Amino acid sequence: MGLLDVENLTTYFDILRGEVKAVENISFTVEKGDAFGLAGESGCGKTTTALSILRLLPQNGKVISGEIHFEGKNLLEMNPEKYRKDIRWKKISVIFQGAMNSLNPVMTVGQQISEAILTHENLSKEEALDRAGKLLDLVGIGSERVERYAHELSGGMRQRAIIAMALSSNPSFIIADEPTTALDVIIEAQVLKVIKDLQKKLNIAMAVISHDLSMIAETCDRIGIMYAGKIVERGDIARIYKEPFHPYTKLLLGAFPSILGPIAKLSRISGFPPDLLSPPPGCRFHPRCPYAMDKCGKEDPQSIHIKGEDHFVACHLVE
Amino acid sequence: MEENTVLDVKNLKKYFMVKMGFLKSLLSKEQLYVRAVDGVSFRIGEREIFGLVGESGCGKTTTGRSILRLIEPTSGQVNFKGSDLIKLDPTEMRNMRRRLQIIFQDPYESLNPRMSIYDILAEPLQLQHIAEGPDEIIGLETKVLGEMGLVPPEEFLYRFPHELSGGQRQRVAVARAFIMTPEFVVADEPVSMLDASMRTEVVELILGMVQKLACAFLYITHDIALTRYICNRVGVMYLGQIVELGLTEDIVHHPHHPYTEALLAAVPVPDPTARRREIVIKGEVANPINPPPGCRFHPRCPYAKGRCGKEEPKLSPSGKGRTVACHFPLE
Amino acid sequence: MMLRGYLLRRILTSIFILWVVITLNFVIFRVIHPVGDPSQLIIQPGFPPEAREMLREIWGLNQPLFPDQYGKYILNLLTWQYGYTFSTPPRPIGPEMAWRLRNTLILLGMGLIGTVAIGLPLGVLAGSRRGKKTDVLVMGAGLLTWGLPSFFLQLLFLLFFAYYSNVWFGFQLMPFGGVMSYPPPKNPIILVGDVLQHAAGPVITLILISFGSWALYARNMIIDALTEDFIVTAKAKGLRERDVLYKHAFRSILPPIATMIAMAIPGLVTGAIITESIFNWPGIGQWYIAALNTGNHPVTQAVLFNFAFLMIIANLLSDVLYGLLDPRIKVGVRR
Repeated sequence: MGLLDVENLTTYFDILRGEVKAVENISFTVEKGDAFGLAGESGCGKTTTALSILRLLPQNGKVISGEIHFEGKNLLEMNPEKYRKDIRWKKISVIFQGAMNSLNPVMTVGQQISEAILTHENLSKEEALDRAGKLLDLVGIGSERVERYAHELSGGMRQRAIIAMALSSNPSFIIADEPTTALDVIIEAQVLKVIKDLQKKLNIAMAVISHDLSMIAETCDRIGIMYAGKIVERGDIARIYKEPFHPYTKLLLGAFPSILGPIAKLSRISGFPPDLLSPPPGCRFHPRCPYAMDKCGKEDPQSIHIKGEDHFVACHLVE
Repeated sequence: MEENTVLDVKNLKKYFMVKMGFLKSLLSKEQLYVRAVDGVSFRIGEREIFGLVGESGCGKTTTGRSILRLIEPTSGQVNFKGSDLIKLDPTEMRNMRRRLQIIFQDPYESLNPRMSIYDILAEPLQLQHIAEGPDEIIGLETKVLGEMGLVPPEEFLYRFPHELSGGQRQRVAVARAFIMTPEFVVADEPVSMLDASMRTEVVELILGMVQKLACAFLYITHDIALTRYICNRVGVMYLGQIVELGLTEDIVHHPHHPYTEALLAAVPVPDPTARRREIVIKGEVANPINPPPGCRFHPRCPYAKGRCGKEEPKLSPSGKGRTVACHFPLE
Repeated sequence: MMLRGYLLRRILTSIFILWVVITLNFVIFRVIHPVGDPSQLIIQPGFPPEAREMLREIWGLNQPLFPDQYGKYILNLLTWQYGYTFSTPPRPIGPEMAWRLRNTLILLGMGLIGTVAIGLPLGVLAGSRRGKKTDVLVMGAGLLTWGLPSFFLQLLFLLFFAYYSNVWFGFQLMPFGGVMSYPPPKNPIILVGDVLQHAAGPVITLILISFGSWALYARNMIIDALTEDFIVTAKAKGLRERDVLYKHAFRSILPPIATMIAMAIPGLVTGAIITESIFNWPGIGQWYIAALNTGNHPVTQAVLFNFAFLMIIANLLSDVLYGLLDPRIKVGVRR
């Protein structure tokens, strides 16, 4: 059992036209101190998975079935007030995609960090602000910026301030949802380095959510690839990038250009992702899959464990 | 190459005035400017896709728009097939517009939500008197939509943008540019809003159309990795200037300018086993109102020497087909 | 430093605008014929022309427009005494303006405070429970009263609480009009109670017809604010729902709301006209209508002057408030 165990999680959204099957029966584990990447394209359900863990789904979103165990406790059954006090930020904190909007524009950075500290610890305002300053030093933007507002900081500094905030109550798990999207490459590299260094140094487990397989390659030890609400392949990142089994993983990896090596042809996936109001039967990827067989349109492939490896794949081809 | 140059940009500048209060402008003698584009020169040949790469705020978008005079440049020359676009009067420029097209980044913003695909594509045709009757227009539209892989085209003609996916919308935006059979196209981050699996097809469509129409193409982007797959030659911009220009493969594998080196080192690689390169530069881009003296990159440059802070380096040849603006280019 | 320069600049432009307004008032009411000469309104055709000349002399209309009449007019406004009424005999406007303005401010000030104090929290509550029963109820009630014509609701109030309550229960819940009973009670505490009883009708109806628009506005702004990323972040931090709502969402929409409140102040004066007429409340709205009808131009001009003055103050106040509440706006720095 890991630090976080997601087991058969299914989350749907109610909209006027019906039920969006955003996340369907997904499972994964994040070990203590581990960095797990949840990758996929827009609308594949990766953010919904994060919001399910955080119990922050919008009003029309609902966990239909499944369990989320964190340090042995089922988060979904926990009393809301207890969850708020004992889990939120104290154990699990978040770095949202934060070009501008994750910080309240009318509060100083220091106020927002100390607010998180004061919610969970019995400290004076001065002590909390003092710690906020130390955290800002830690992420490299300097404690003198506690009294700054978000608009007074550059994009890179804002994202570092958000990282400082995520660390403020010594969590054991951080969810980073597109932590560097909208940042320029050099700033992105600097911010990623801060995240990686602190994650290793403080031994924090992390789930990195992104559409960018290059960014995940640089930050994570393990990965889960999502397509249309399902995890199609997961396991050790080096192994999956070297030898992907699922056709979607293969094609998606092939679509990412690299700055290194010779120019290989970029792969293309024809067609468009399915409407999750009525996803295709069987394997959800089969209408776009170049290797689809008869069976793929009828039977939902189960996740298969590749023997002797940290590698799971849900595809009929592998059987 | 020299003979079939389509576009020749020389020393293009665009300064934006910094707005000051009325009283303040009376008191201070100096008007401040944001030097968004500060002396940019390059050429693009027939069937060539030239890349302009840089981080946000480097002036690449302003360069693209100044060339098309979507914003009026401050000075410089834009020679397009024998005429200087900057010198054209409004009527001449309007007639020229058919031959010059632009593709924007965000297909959610660039397509009018109240117009059907038919109307979106018909508008430029009618304005430039390329096609008049509905039959002629529909003929041209179905042809270009088919080329864009929106098949069957008849099914898309009377839909509205919100009924299409992001990838489909961007194909419509590309179709709107190419339906005019342009001779020069500017594309500002045309695929950066698209998911990776959609991107490849749109890139291939653009590459195919450039060959087919034998036009010149300016590809503006922050994504230097993807540039390798699209552009033969590329210019790297920093703070309003091109710091390095040459064949994409040469630059990617052997950068001569320290900024290019740093930019390349920062690009993430889709390979978890690749060696991680150290980021050698610190800090953030300087203020374009008051750029550093000498080389604009010198305050962040790990190799900077005394001369770099005093003397501005000029773009000068550095190896085959390459120019670099650096006093001490890397070898 | 920056703020002082900004204020100075704003005050100078405000003075200029005020001058334009009062000059226009002069041109409209004095120069343009025949509006400009109220002696025509009063004098019957059969009267000898000497009588009319006499009136013109009493009111100072026989003097040249510029510079005499205009200069006197400006001087009167600058001393806040506004000169004399066009009546026989002429009466000074200053003292009457003072107590009428006070009456208007009492009535409409209480109305505005009540409207904001009820409308905003209801709107925030409705917005935070979007689509639920509370939301539907608040919005329904707000829209219903908002849609009623104010005079209709006010007449209903008079009918039931001043007339029928007396007929049916032998007890008059509120008076038919006026600011206080006559003779006024000597005890100051009883006097305040007496004024409140007189103000209750107009104030309550004012709140009823206008809280809906405030609630709707606050609701929509809160709904927008609640979708911001920093709200999700605040929830993820483990903040209580109440703190998320007030410390983050409400605080972030406070700058535009403060501006709205400041800008609503001059609107009160125009709103006063109907309410004051119906409840026979001797304020400046009622006075303004009467003056317009009788060609009593100095009074009309004085009311409009105060209105313009209030408008400018409110404008200035709203800008300064915005700058104080929203750190992104630096007052005095142009972007």
